[in-house]
Amino acid sequence: MLKGFGTFLLKELKELVRDPKILLPMIVIPLVMFPVLGAVMGYAVQTAQEQAIKAKLIVVNNDGGGWSNSFVSFLKRLNVTIYVVNNTKLDDKKVLELLSQHNATQILEIPKGFSENVTAHFSNPAVKASLRFYSVLAGTSIFEGTGSSVIDVLINQFNRAVAPDVVYSEKAAVIKGEIKYGVDPAVVSGLLMSQSIALPLTVLILLSYAPQIAAASMAIEKEEKTLETLLTLPMDRLAILWGKLSSSIIVAAVGAVAYMAGYSYMFSSIMAGAPASLNLDLASLGLVPSAWGYLLLGLSLFVAMISALALAVILSAFAEDVRSAQSLVSNIYPLVFVPSIALIYLDINTLPFALKLVLFAIPFSHPVIASKAVVMGDYWTAGLGIVYVSAFTLVVMYVASKLFATEKILTAKLKIKGLKTRRSEKPAEEI
Amino acid sequence: MSLAVEASNVVKVFGNVRALDGLSFAVRPGETYGLIGPNGAGKTTALRIVSTLLLPTAGTVKVFGLDVVKEAGEVRKVISYLPEEAGAYRYLSGWEYLEFMAKFNAKSKDEVRAMVMEAAEICGLGERLKDKTKTYSKGMKRRLLVARALMTKPKLAILDEPTSGLDVVHAYHVREIIKRYVETHGVTVLLSSHNMLEVEHLCDRVALINKGRIVAEGAPQELKEKFGCKNLEEVFARVVKIA
Repeated sequence: MLKGFGTFLLKELKELVRDPKILLPMIVIPLVMFPVLGAVMGYAVQTAQEQAIKAKLIVVNNDGGGWSNSFVSFLKRLNVTIYVVNNTKLDDKKVLELLSQHNATQILEIPKGFSENVTAHFSNPAVKASLRFYSVLAGTSIFEGTGSSVIDVLINQFNRAVAPDVVYSEKAAVIKGEIKYGVDPAVVSGLLMSQSIALPLTVLILLSYAPQIAAASMAIEKEEKTLETLLTLPMDRLAILWGKLSSSIIVAAVGAVAYMAGYSYMFSSIMAGAPASLNLDLASLGLVPSAWGYLLLGLSLFVAMISALALAVILSAFAEDVRSAQSLVSNIYPLVFVPSIALIYLDINTLPFALKLVLFAIPFSHPVIASKAVVMGDYWTAGLGIVYVSAFTLVVMYVASKLFATEKILTAKLKIKGLKTRRSEKPAEEI
Repeated sequence: MSLAVEASNVVKVFGNVRALDGLSFAVRPGETYGLIGPNGAGKTTALRIVSTLLLPTAGTVKVFGLDVVKEAGEVRKVISYLPEEAGAYRYLSGWEYLEFMAKFNAKSKDEVRAMVMEAAEICGLGERLKDKTKTYSKGMKRRLLVARALMTKPKLAILDEPTSGLDVVHAYHVREIIKRYVETHGVTVLLSSHNMLEVEHLCDRVALINKGRIVAEGAPQELKEKFGCKNLEEVFARVVKIA
């Protein structure tokens, strides 16, 4: 045993555990943040399941034979909410009309010859009966393909009762009012999520890197005793604030580009080994942002970044050194992490109202919301988000500029006693 | 001609602490004026108010006729402040640091260069100016910072404990820099120190400050004669006792 190790270790542990700056971000925040995230996700899963069960399915029966009627009865027995339409020729226009007329998101067409094919299957197993399933892809939630998966389960159960593999479904996705045949919404949804994860991740990285850099650069001025001199120079004090914010954005952006380059290399390596069926082209489905969408996304990220940085600078103004500043800033992480991670999997439009409201209120949710909204062509959500975050940023910048314009930038301190905070304006140095 | 510094009944309160309690003093243009007193007397607070860093709770301070609260921006153009515990940017070389600071006062590149050359001359760091400031000793750093404070030829240089924490050699060097610079350029200097001998050596007039108030003021020689003491340290002890 190393001489003195035990004594030293005990002292270290005492210091670390008793330091609220470490206790809060390292222990308390994760203990709160992840259960909150779990609760959000759990609630969303439950809601999605309930919605999937309640979802109305329009069954267009163009066959009218015995097996098609049996299939419809089978669906009814399983308590699937269905609305049956008989003998209606389905073209793209009619599909959209039916969906809108019945406020539904799914249509199952039993084509003519269905019963004939099921009967033929018993003498020739190579003959199979097809169904066509249309499903609207409205968002980018992980649950977007649930309807498609539910149909597969129902068909499997029917097949189990009748004959293995006798019925199969041909999928079509309704994306932005256009019908894409041969596209399974479940596959698109999965692909969309795995490929569009890059945007929320970039947001996550930028919003966690940049405030740390801004907070550290402000705290260094205090720690290295350069701030006092700076504040007496014939310069605009807001130039200090903007200088800190701008340099933090540049450094964080370079960091994010490096991170994303590494991430996309890793992702392309994984995709190279994936089956060809997964290589759907999202661009041809219209599921990549337009130039206008990218502009909105960039703006959304920019204003959120400015608000996070200004908040970080304000918080770091209350710290005496870099460590304290970074600890203070890490307190805003739950506001960055919870929405970013939750919105990678969930579509905000499908969430319950209260949860939606909470996520909309957090300014750092908006770049992630925008990243998904612009993919679906929903520019209003992205635009209104920018307006809201800009207003929030203006308030934060106003507070930051007030702080820089007065002596508080030099004298304000946050004293943490236990978990209580109070502000002191007594300077640290000699009176 | 207006006074270089005119402080009238200045009060500064931090929470429950009354750091300055009706402080009044005047500094004439071209003189070196020292605020002396023990730790916690209010010297740093007074200098921070003069240099526009803190706002007085009550009273007024004017620098060459400019109000430090209402005309802070204008005051910053004519002053140069050296805090007691000032630092330099660790990853800039001494030369880069001086250039960075000079740019805020200079109007042209030539003026920046002239200021930096002046600072190089004042600090005497020679080739070491090319090195990052994190490699400097405490004494070297202080010489750099004093040079930074003086290179702009400010109308008023405010120096808080200019030789604080320095060894005899470096302290001597810094004192000589200040003395020489004031004589050559006619800069007004307001400095603070708790080193009475240093103040005696540098200052034309001094104010003895205790508990946020001035307890005696005058030329060092005049004060020594008035109180019949050998040095300012004894004067201070006597004045505080009397006060």
